[in-house]
Amino acid sequence: MTRYLIKKMVSLAAVLFLVSLTVFSVLFVLPGDPAQIILGINASPETLAALRARLGLDQPFWAQYNSWIGSLLQGTGGHSITYDMAVFELIGSRLAVTGPLAIMAMALAVVLALPLGIFAARHQNRPADAAVMAGTQLGLAVPEFWLGILLMLLFSVHWGIFSAGGFPGWDEDVWGSLKALFLPALALGLIRTAILTRLTRSSMLEVLREDYVRTARAKGLRERTVVYGHALKNALIPVLTILGLQMGQLLAGAIIIENVFSLPGLGRLVFQAIGQRDLPVVREVVLFMAAAVVVVNFLVDLSYAAVDPRIRLDGQ
Amino acid sequence: MKYALCALVLILSLVVVSSAFAQAPIKGGTLTVCQPAEPPGLDPTTHTAAAIDRVVYANIYEGLVKVDSGGGFLPGLANGWNISADGLVYTFNLRKGVTFHNGEPFDAAVAKWNLEQAALPENGNPHPEYFNGIATVDAPDSHTLVIRLDAVDALFIAHMAEGDAVMRPMKSDADAKSNPIGTGPFKFVKWERGDRVEMVRFDGYWNPFLPYLDRVVFRFISDPAAQVAALKAGDIDVIGSIAAPESAMMLEKDLRFKVYAGTTTGEVIMSTNNLAAPFDNRMVRRAMAHAIDRQAVVDLVMFGYGTPIGSHWSPSTPYYKDLTGRYPYDPETARALLKEAGYPNGFSATIKLPAIYSYSRRAGEVIADMLSRVGIDLTIEIVEWGQWIDRIFKKKEYQLTMIGHVEAWDIGIYAKPDYYFQYDSQAFRDAYANALKAPDEAGKAKWFGRCQEIIADDAVNGFLFSAPSLAVMKANVMGWWENYPTIALDCTAVWWKQ
Repeated sequence: MTRYLIKKMVSLAAVLFLVSLTVFSVLFVLPGDPAQIILGINASPETLAALRARLGLDQPFWAQYNSWIGSLLQGTGGHSITYDMAVFELIGSRLAVTGPLAIMAMALAVVLALPLGIFAARHQNRPADAAVMAGTQLGLAVPEFWLGILLMLLFSVHWGIFSAGGFPGWDEDVWGSLKALFLPALALGLIRTAILTRLTRSSMLEVLREDYVRTARAKGLRERTVVYGHALKNALIPVLTILGLQMGQLLAGAIIIENVFSLPGLGRLVFQAIGQRDLPVVREVVLFMAAAVVVVNFLVDLSYAAVDPRIRLDGQ
Repeated sequence: MKYALCALVLILSLVVVSSAFAQAPIKGGTLTVCQPAEPPGLDPTTHTAAAIDRVVYANIYEGLVKVDSGGGFLPGLANGWNISADGLVYTFNLRKGVTFHNGEPFDAAVAKWNLEQAALPENGNPHPEYFNGIATVDAPDSHTLVIRLDAVDALFIAHMAEGDAVMRPMKSDADAKSNPIGTGPFKFVKWERGDRVEMVRFDGYWNPFLPYLDRVVFRFISDPAAQVAALKAGDIDVIGSIAAPESAMMLEKDLRFKVYAGTTTGEVIMSTNNLAAPFDNRMVRRAMAHAIDRQAVVDLVMFGYGTPIGSHWSPSTPYYKDLTGRYPYDPETARALLKEAGYPNGFSATIKLPAIYSYSRRAGEVIADMLSRVGIDLTIEIVEWGQWIDRIFKKKEYQLTMIGHVEAWDIGIYAKPDYYFQYDSQAFRDAYANALKAPDEAGKAKWFGRCQEIIADDAVNGFLFSAPSLAVMKANVMGWWENYPTIALDCTAVWWKQ
């Protein structure tokens, strides 16, 4: 286990280094001078030069890269040009929205998808299965932003139960903040429910055909025990893989949904920061997202072992 | 005594007139305003983004001069000003008893410091040229400011009314980007990044009758459908400028809301690279001007909101000259001019449209269709904003593009041959210099009019329409500006009708 952990830490460091170099180089050559975007199209050359110097943009590539990495290693990180605050702090405050949103959406998806998928598998090729499959087809076909707007029109404009976007903030109104996340989580969750339901169904069908399931049935075990006690655990492995990937994606920011619901999340942050060439923010958020994906996948690896004891993480 | 009596009669008649026409404004209440783009910082003196001015200008920050909703100039932090006969010396008589939100007093020394700071390039004011022409600033007493200019500048007062010239406190302006402290009617409370800016009534405001509202919240909602949903759900009270004009049309029919379709300082133009063939040929540019049906552009792109223009000047800015008749829509003439210019079969060109502005993308498509009818085949290329700044604006790697120029009084850009239009005309530069030096109103009207004529005549760019100020609000929001002759969303005199 220790060896496995060390291996993972080394690969995380390697990934972060490569990502940092890539994102830095891409932003370095990206057309669109931050100083010009800040000062607008009528700015004078002297003002532009002064601002470039203040932002350190007049330094050569390696000097800029080194000073950035140095600031990261010291734990201070960069300073957002537009928001005038430390990027670490900014990421923290955005994560307080994106994190719970991702968890809510994923929890909703899991709670709906597992029973639905199992149900469909057990009623394969019967009307109930067809109905579930038709529903998931719809879920896959519906674009997220459209579903978001539809939910908003229904729940906010028509029924007035939820507010139409925005986020009051956890320290201000916990219940209001939870409510603000509900519709976007529903929009994100329903679409992921569709993916996970189909996956659970097909994975379940495969496992139900295995010999050990037949043996279990032959032993005279109750169908419930066969399905939930024996088949489900094995059927969950591919589901967990996709769950991990989806979770990583959600943490990396549900840009479109955050935009529709005007949520101050990570996705919207990086989207705005690219447009405004707030380079310190773009760099560190991208780096953070890469780290989040790696860590989530690591957790998924751990969960494989929990679900299936035959999987040993240290490869021995 | 006679004066007192006159004043009394005047006040009484005002009261009678105003009560006859409208309910007196009521104090109190919170107004939630949707502003599509989140401002990149809250300091209007270090960034040109219009979103900053829309949140803080006239609400938190004020300058010496204020623009009123009719486009005229009103006393702001100055009670008034005198201009010397030679037009070089401006004597501002500053308001007494003005304090900043943190209690610091505002006086001539503070004003002098602000003007001097703004002129230094290292402070990052995007428009140091507004202040570079100031030779000396003197404060002979605590409430008199004497500004001597190097040369006559007809736009000096206009510039003093811009967001770039707001007054900041001398001692505590270090974190103006995130904690703005001004003299305005509202005091900054907090900025929830990504969501909203909140401000409350400043009890020490120099005008004891204003503001009416207790609290103003600016919420940042960029998605057009979400803006309308939030208004209908009652989460917001006003959409400062609605992103989708088609929804304004629908909301107009809803009795719960009202739509103000006013004017702004912005001109939407098809910018043309005057050095890139075939657009270096004036005949080609004139042919294009004849091939564009401006009213149809307004109807198709803005759903009828907006005013066609014939030059780079908005109808809401003083000295406007209506030149929309200079090139009437006439495809026949356009084809004849193209033939004369040596393109009997037309030509192909590329128009690069900035992705962030939906009006620009829509207008590009409409114009491409119109020009195709006279044989000009346009390829549309959508570019990201940073790329637009870099490739089109700085490197001039373009033939045609589409953009709104939002600043008022910006016709001077045609006097710079290295500006991205690459328009080079001595006649224009002379006219503009005369306009800036014009000592009186008649002179300004004459020469600013001449400037508009010259660029219209040269068909420098495709002058399309003046962008509308499209505000949608609940029907009982009163005192919102119909027209916006400056970049702001001024809530000073807004109130809730019961």
